[in-house]
Amino acid sequence: MGRITLDKVTKRFGEVEVIPPLDLTIEDGEFVVFVGPSGCGKSTLLRLIAGLEDVSGGEIRIDGRDATEVPPAKRGLAMVFQSYALYPHMSVRKNIAFPLRMANMDKAEQDRRIESAAKVLNLTDYLERRPGQLSGGQRQRVAIGRAIVREPAAFLFDEPLSNLDAALRVGMRLEISELHERLKTTMIYVTHDQVEAMTMADKIVVLRAGNIEQVGSPLDLYRSPRNLFVAGFIGSPTMNLLEGRAAQAHGAHTIGIRPEHLDLSRESGEWSGVVGVSEHLGSDTFLHVHDTGLADIVTVRASGEVELRHGDRVFLTPQADKLHRFGENGLRLA
Amino acid sequence: MATQHSRAAARVMISPAVILLLGWMLIPLGMTLYFSFLRYNLLMPGTESFTGWDNYYYFLTDPAFSSAIVNTLILVGGVLAITTIGGVLFALLLDQPMFGQGIVRILVISPFFVMPTVSALVWKNMFMNPVSGLLASLWRFFGAQPVDWLSEYPLFSIVVIVAWQWLPFATLILLTAFQSLDQDQLEAAEMDGAGALSRFFHIMLPHLARAITVVVLIQTIFLLSIFAEILVTTNGGPGTASTNLTYLVYAESLLRFDVGTGSAGGIVAVILANIVAIFLMRMIGKNLDA
Repeated sequence: MGRITLDKVTKRFGEVEVIPPLDLTIEDGEFVVFVGPSGCGKSTLLRLIAGLEDVSGGEIRIDGRDATEVPPAKRGLAMVFQSYALYPHMSVRKNIAFPLRMANMDKAEQDRRIESAAKVLNLTDYLERRPGQLSGGQRQRVAIGRAIVREPAAFLFDEPLSNLDAALRVGMRLEISELHERLKTTMIYVTHDQVEAMTMADKIVVLRAGNIEQVGSPLDLYRSPRNLFVAGFIGSPTMNLLEGRAAQAHGAHTIGIRPEHLDLSRESGEWSGVVGVSEHLGSDTFLHVHDTGLADIVTVRASGEVELRHGDRVFLTPQADKLHRFGENGLRLA
Repeated sequence: MATQHSRAAARVMISPAVILLLGWMLIPLGMTLYFSFLRYNLLMPGTESFTGWDNYYYFLTDPAFSSAIVNTLILVGGVLAITTIGGVLFALLLDQPMFGQGIVRILVISPFFVMPTVSALVWKNMFMNPVSGLLASLWRFFGAQPVDWLSEYPLFSIVVIVAWQWLPFATLILLTAFQSLDQDQLEAAEMDGAGALSRFFHIMLPHLARAITVVVLIQTIFLLSIFAEILVTTNGGPGTASTNLTYLVYAESLLRFDVGTGSAGGIVAVILANIVAIFLMRMIGKNLDA
């Protein structure tokens, strides 16, 4: 079981309030991703849950029990660090066995758990090696192995993929998602990469300056961002946010339209502009349209075969039902 | 580019330095070796004659020799034990964030800058003196009989003096090692359920292994040849209670004026030092790999 409840949790470093009172409930078995720009307090929040930082106020409950003052080891949580934090002088087997040894677990049971974790993570052939002899992805798997042998109530991941190269990152992302499917254990995952958040999460928590901006499923956040910050943060390439005349025409202070919700035409449309850079990805082409009078650049997604050149004049029409309207305070208008 | 030609040129160019260094080492060694086979007494100049292995025989069968060996080992072992254990603990303390950290660190390092004769004299006259020493005052304050450290526990006193000099060195090296320890590892161990002691023995100490090796190797080299501290405090006495191998060689050559036996002792000391070095490298040198 791993239901984690944060009740008015606050964190101050001296005078600075990093996390103002914050409420959040993480259901058992959920894959929750904390996402936000760097310095938004997402790692601090994870460390508060882990118990590596003391909360300045409020209460953390794990499975209904107050865990605010419980030391990290007794919370039944396992953490995977960004730097992996493997013990360099121990073999992979000993690294994975370490939490079990610390719990004085019986040797046969230790071996059984290590073997099964190694099998799940494809580490069986590497058990006798030292971390220094492993590649980045393998080290990452050892770190996960060290977490899963404890059979924790929840896993905490602190930007676990940011030290890996791009190809490996995609692979590990899938492995972690699959692991979650198999173990059905609560996972809390911190990242600044909204692609990781979108692809892995059951529930995304978008944080800014210690505040929760929005909580919801990836598609909820994508389809109906609650405010301008979430609108601009979720989605790649980012949503076009337009102010002024065009927004007033739709009765809003700011309107947002995603690149794929703009219809492109050479003849006519609501707005017009000149094609600048086009990014050809093969399946899609992202066109940067300038001189629309709306914003510096409006990004448009077109099909991969589009035949437009630098300097061509194009017309854009937003799909009316996909338009996001925001008021002067940045909040979404109904 | 390392062509045949440039390599030959390089050899020619480094040769003066190499020849100088070789001469610097080989000539004294050769002369010591030569003297060690001579009957060479400073009180009877001009009577030098070849005596074969006699000098070695006299040196090795001298009862002072075996006690000097034991004393040397106790001295080296005692100082190593105090400085490495104490150094680890001091480094652990100094690694904690605290007020006035910079000044405290400099203060801890400073004994290393005091030259051996001076620090030994300071200990002898200001701490261990049975009449005016600080320790004597302390003993009297508690109503105890002051201890004459240098004559009652001569070897122990010298171990303390030398350890006091070398503790800063060990602390400095081990402190830098502590500072290079990844904090994430400690936090991971904490999450894994390791208490403070487990974290120390399972994470910190293995991390320090290499630094401890360096400390032990370097200190052993210097501690085998401790001399000044003994000369200015106990003069090797009482009897031979605090005579180590270096001091015995000095006593033979310059107190008994028997340069031949002294030289033989010097050669014996070189051989023993090399044996110790080989053992040390075998035992802990593997820590330096990888």
